[in-house]
Amino acid sequence: MSNDSDALIKGLRAMPTPEPRPGFVDRALANAANAGSHVPAARNTAERAGRRNVALRWEIWLGALVGGAVAAALTVVLMRPTHLQPAERAITLALNEVRDIDVLIDSDRDLTDATIRVAVTGGVALDGMANEHIVDWRTDLGRGPNLLSLPVIARKAGAGQLVAVVEHGGKTRTVMINLTVSGSAAKRS
Amino acid sequence: MSRMAWPNLSSRTRASTPDAFDALMREHVPALYRSAYRWTGAVDRAEDLVQDVLVRLYPLRDELCRLDQIRPWAMRVMYRIFIDQLRRERSSPLAFGIDFGDADGAGENDSGFVDPAGGPPELAEQQLTQQRIAAAWNLLAEEHRVVLSMHDIEGYSLVELAAMFETPLGTLKSRLHRARARLRGLLAGERFVAADRVQD
Repeated sequence: MSNDSDALIKGLRAMPTPEPRPGFVDRALANAANAGSHVPAARNTAERAGRRNVALRWEIWLGALVGGAVAAALTVVLMRPTHLQPAERAITLALNEVRDIDVLIDSDRDLTDATIRVAVTGGVALDGMANEHIVDWRTDLGRGPNLLSLPVIARKAGAGQLVAVVEHGGKTRTVMINLTVSGSAAKRS
Repeated sequence: MSRMAWPNLSSRTRASTPDAFDALMREHVPALYRSAYRWTGAVDRAEDLVQDVLVRLYPLRDELCRLDQIRPWAMRVMYRIFIDQLRRERSSPLAFGIDFGDADGAGENDSGFVDPAGGPPELAEQQLTQQRIAAAWNLLAEEHRVVLSMHDIEGYSLVELAAMFETPLGTLKSRLHRARARLRGLLAGERFVAADRVQD
């Protein structure tokens, strides 16, 4: 590295940077906890407004050699708890509406350290994560149905999609939900 | 049926309480703040940015406790929030004077500026006072502050930053090169600064 670059970097590193103002760290951590504690209330509101449920059945994994066509059919056919309308895989949201979309992951065995990846496209965002269009995390899934609630918010009119992918042991299952945001705003109660 | 909270609050939750979140994040907040201050150049904006990060991370506290290194992950979140804020500001008609639609693109015009390519040969011998560097720093584009802050000050490698910011390595290399050149130019030719800000 040249001398002038060295000098520049030394100068940058010597540039004074203030520490947080007294009390900021405590306040910021407390604010974060308070803000986070409001999330369940928002979900309850969405729940009262009505849920749309989508299920992803998992046990076909063990059948092995599941072809693409079968996997696609899987996401189409086995997607819903019994109380939902059969054709409901496309969901329409009003502008600015917040709603929980439930993904049901039905597994015939415990899945330790599975990865769940959720992506949203179009005018829909993950509520509380407006800048994150793809979120993934690892979790353990128990045998039987596992219900994952995904809070989404309709930010602008148009078509979009929510894609949830579950990965475990090198195998994946994907569920896609078409989301349409209508141009009219959600009514406030 | 077992119900998984979003994004992952399984029965094996390890950091579900505010105290646990505090314990996880407290040591990282000052570092986040220092970077935020370098990026934004203002105490209030730095505090707001760090606050936004913590609010964003709180629901992900279970994920945090699974990470080997929390800070790079938190930095990535902070970067995305910051860039999103910049985009909003730049798309606002009230954001006159906020520069650079794309700090790496053709919109970055160095014409009329001290040629930064070679830099003044005597630069190494100059005394780079903290005041001069700080003044020049505040005139850099935000993206340039970020890459200089993270690479030249914090010591992250470009490879690490490429992963952290989800930005191609080549883009970061050129951004770093341009950021250093811009800073050298500012240090060598402050009289052109005003014109530079208006043009951008």
